[in-house]
Amino acid sequence: MSEQYDPEHIEMVQEFVQEIRELLDELEPVIIEMGQSCSDDGEVGDITDDINSIFRLFHSIKGAAGFLNFTNIATSSHSAENLLDLIRTDVFPLTADHIDLLCQGIDFIRAAIDHVENEFNDEALAEESKEIRDKFLQAIEHSKGGDTTAAAPETAPAPPKAEAPPLIDLYAQPAESVSPEMVKSFISEASYLLQNLEEELLRWLKDLDNHDILNEIFRGIHSFKGNCGFLDFADMEALSHQMESVIDFTRTGGQINKTSAGELLLKLIDIHRESVTDIDNGGSGEIIGLDIYRDMLADLLPANQKLAPIQQGKQAPLPAPPERLGEILIEQGATSKEEISDSLAQQNKPLGEILLESGSVDEKQIEKALETQAKRRQKKAPGKQAVKKQDIRVDLGKLDSLIDFIGELVIAENMVINNPDLEELELDNFQKAGQHLGKIVRDLQEMAMTLRMIPVSGLFRRMIRLVHDLSRKSGKKVDLQLIGEETEVDKTVIETITDPLVHLLRNSMDHGIEPAEKRLAANKPESGTIKLSAFHEEGVVKITIDDDGGGLPRDKILAKAVEKGLINGDGSDMSDKDVFALIFAPGFSTADQVTDISGRGVGMDVVRQNLEKIKGSIDISSKPGQGTKVELQIPLTLAIIEGMLVRSGESRYIIPIINIIESFRATPEMITIAPDGQEVVKVRENLLPIIRLHEMHGLTPDNHELEKGILVVLEARGANFCLLVDELLGQQQTVIKGLSSYVSKFGGNIGGVSGCTIMGDGEVCLILDVQKILEMTQEPEGE
Amino acid sequence: MSNTAEDMLDDDIYDDDEDTQKDKYLTFHLAGEDYGLDIAFVTEIIGIQKITEVPDMPGFIKGVINLRGKVIPVMDIRLRFNMEAKEYDERTCIIVVDINNSAVGLVVDEVREVAGIPEAQVEPPPKTGKGESSRYLKGMGKIDDEVKILLNAEKLLYDEELE
Repeated sequence: MSEQYDPEHIEMVQEFVQEIRELLDELEPVIIEMGQSCSDDGEVGDITDDINSIFRLFHSIKGAAGFLNFTNIATSSHSAENLLDLIRTDVFPLTADHIDLLCQGIDFIRAAIDHVENEFNDEALAEESKEIRDKFLQAIEHSKGGDTTAAAPETAPAPPKAEAPPLIDLYAQPAESVSPEMVKSFISEASYLLQNLEEELLRWLKDLDNHDILNEIFRGIHSFKGNCGFLDFADMEALSHQMESVIDFTRTGGQINKTSAGELLLKLIDIHRESVTDIDNGGSGEIIGLDIYRDMLADLLPANQKLAPIQQGKQAPLPAPPERLGEILIEQGATSKEEISDSLAQQNKPLGEILLESGSVDEKQIEKALETQAKRRQKKAPGKQAVKKQDIRVDLGKLDSLIDFIGELVIAENMVINNPDLEELELDNFQKAGQHLGKIVRDLQEMAMTLRMIPVSGLFRRMIRLVHDLSRKSGKKVDLQLIGEETEVDKTVIETITDPLVHLLRNSMDHGIEPAEKRLAANKPESGTIKLSAFHEEGVVKITIDDDGGGLPRDKILAKAVEKGLINGDGSDMSDKDVFALIFAPGFSTADQVTDISGRGVGMDVVRQNLEKIKGSIDISSKPGQGTKVELQIPLTLAIIEGMLVRSGESRYIIPIINIIESFRATPEMITIAPDGQEVVKVRENLLPIIRLHEMHGLTPDNHELEKGILVVLEARGANFCLLVDELLGQQQTVIKGLSSYVSKFGGNIGGVSGCTIMGDGEVCLILDVQKILEMTQEPEGE
Repeated sequence: MSNTAEDMLDDDIYDDDEDTQKDKYLTFHLAGEDYGLDIAFVTEIIGIQKITEVPDMPGFIKGVINLRGKVIPVMDIRLRFNMEAKEYDERTCIIVVDINNSAVGLVVDEVREVAGIPEAQVEPPPKTGKGESSRYLKGMGKIDDEVKILLNAEKLLYDEELE
């Protein structure tokens, strides 16, 4: 690679990096899952599909890296591919060592792309790459039992086109479990392939002697066939197999009417598209009239070239309601199969017209058939949607500014509709138009909010690897169950909870799940279970980590807390909840010894800090001997909070609802004034300090008597206090805006304010940060 | 005065690239004197509107306002120069400036006009200035008989000394 990189190259590298990261994220869990299926007493489950998909992914990495001249990445993925190929072809079975090796390979590629992202070449990685290659080579030789003829690592990546697309075992058993994700990626890939095929076919029709295009078409249809076979869409597989044969025959110089072949193939691409749409809508992707199409394809070939239809796991489609006009005509006995296929083969006009011209059917019959067709199509109407359901990558910055603009639009709309200039005017039409605008703006806002939302599955799947590694390290057998992977959360939220989640899982593995002997002694299954689940509840997302381990040792925690002077007395009267909350104290650890997994006690307070950063909370419950459940409660998005609008004097503030416990009007007997002037109110059995909002912000309240204002009980980090305000104005969705960076340069606590929002009337309203207020009031005490 | 107004008009019509912003100042009135602010920093001028106070800020930061959906802080220049505060009236304006990519509003008594003051007509600020405020000055601009006090916007906003 040359020393200088033009912008185009840089852009390509960046795309490459992103793509590979996605591939790796996809690849890793598959490998681990496969590892689990083979480590269970050597009884290897059906991993053919897994192996194939891993093989394919490594192959894609190799291809992409080779294209960009990242030789080291390409060669190491090539060696991984070699290993997988040998496993795939049953030369030797898959072992746990192979899984580890593949994980190492992935780690290497990950490190390599990090490097490539900055340096735009991978020359510095030659050594590591060689190391990985040697390991793979060793593994191959070892598994072959000293057979040294193992494929040597190539020094240069194979040119992408030299290899046929991933071979899929057509005779393999149907995939045991086809996940919705697999179908989804099949659909997008298939649509893409069909699109390409169509373009290539059109090109070929203009340039019939061009062999390169023909090869391209052959490869395309071959990949498509592979994909169909992989997911067991038998009809599509069969049809594309025959299409492939026709092309193969053509490109190997067979005598064929190229134009009619091309036209027919184009038609069949459309047929495939319909099937893909059908699958997208939950259908089975069966092709109605498959036999006709196959006969038509067969007719293209000379008699001695007829190919046996592809062997199938499933028989050709059962007579289902036919959809094509030709089929219907045959059904009605108006014409024969041969006539239809003849017509179709040279078809340029609607089938009906051709049949009319050739006099094989009369107009009435066609009309009747068309009617029937229309009716039947209607029935299947949902299946007629376009297949163009593809993702595009958008720069996050652009997305954020779009969301910002929509936020401003919401405010501007409010300012127009509630404009004081319009007050007391009779504006019927304006009101109507305004309502319409309002609805659109709200829909837009809702849509904007979902743009940043991504499913937690990516985050959860990363945990599979973590648990796998930890389980190997500690020798504890653990089964990680993922529930609610499709739950969507704001991207930033996901980034913030990644570390806490890793930490909590480590804790569960290290402290929660007991060693196998201990578990067996306690009448529990040998391998532990950790359930990681996510779900929506009342406008927040809850993520729980539930293990069936030994539970939190209450006595140990208490003893440690007493030792550290965190509590007064022996704590025997504390509730479980309070005791468990102690583990969030900085530096707290009950581990008897520090392992390399956990035990240094730095974790839980960081977990809590991270959660507080995104206005979330954490809750622990535990039963001795039965396990521990940690529940993270996180907001759906960081851009909007549910807030309570309050007033003190002339100023209005938003208090996050999550911090509010209750509010009430105090009576004189509830209030006590301490000698230092601190007012305290007794709420049921609790004595809570009172903070006057107007004093904190230098406002003039309606009145100074506590009994005339409203006391709002607030909670942060388990500590409660009361805030005195004049009035509660109501609950509302609050779009959070930062105070200008210019303001924050003056530093300080900014009076316990975390940000601001813009009200319907255009006025800026500050959002209170309960945590900060609490810290502000506690500071003087510490001095 | 009318002379400069015409100049401004001409410039607006005939050229509008960046270069024309050179030596152009937005002049405003503050406590009996005329001031000038480099036009390159000015993004717009708006009338006074309701300012939401932000606690724990230095006195000259009056609070924040909503500028078409953006929240920007507002500084009262009188208070920045330790002058006596003046009740806001219909002539009070907020000049929105953009420095270091952050927008700040400056409250002034009254906005005058855009004046061109060639560099040759700008004298250094008086060194013997008795107040500390002179460090926020860029120079003294002369237009005929009048003198405009030219402000250094960056120092006005970011110099910590006055706090």
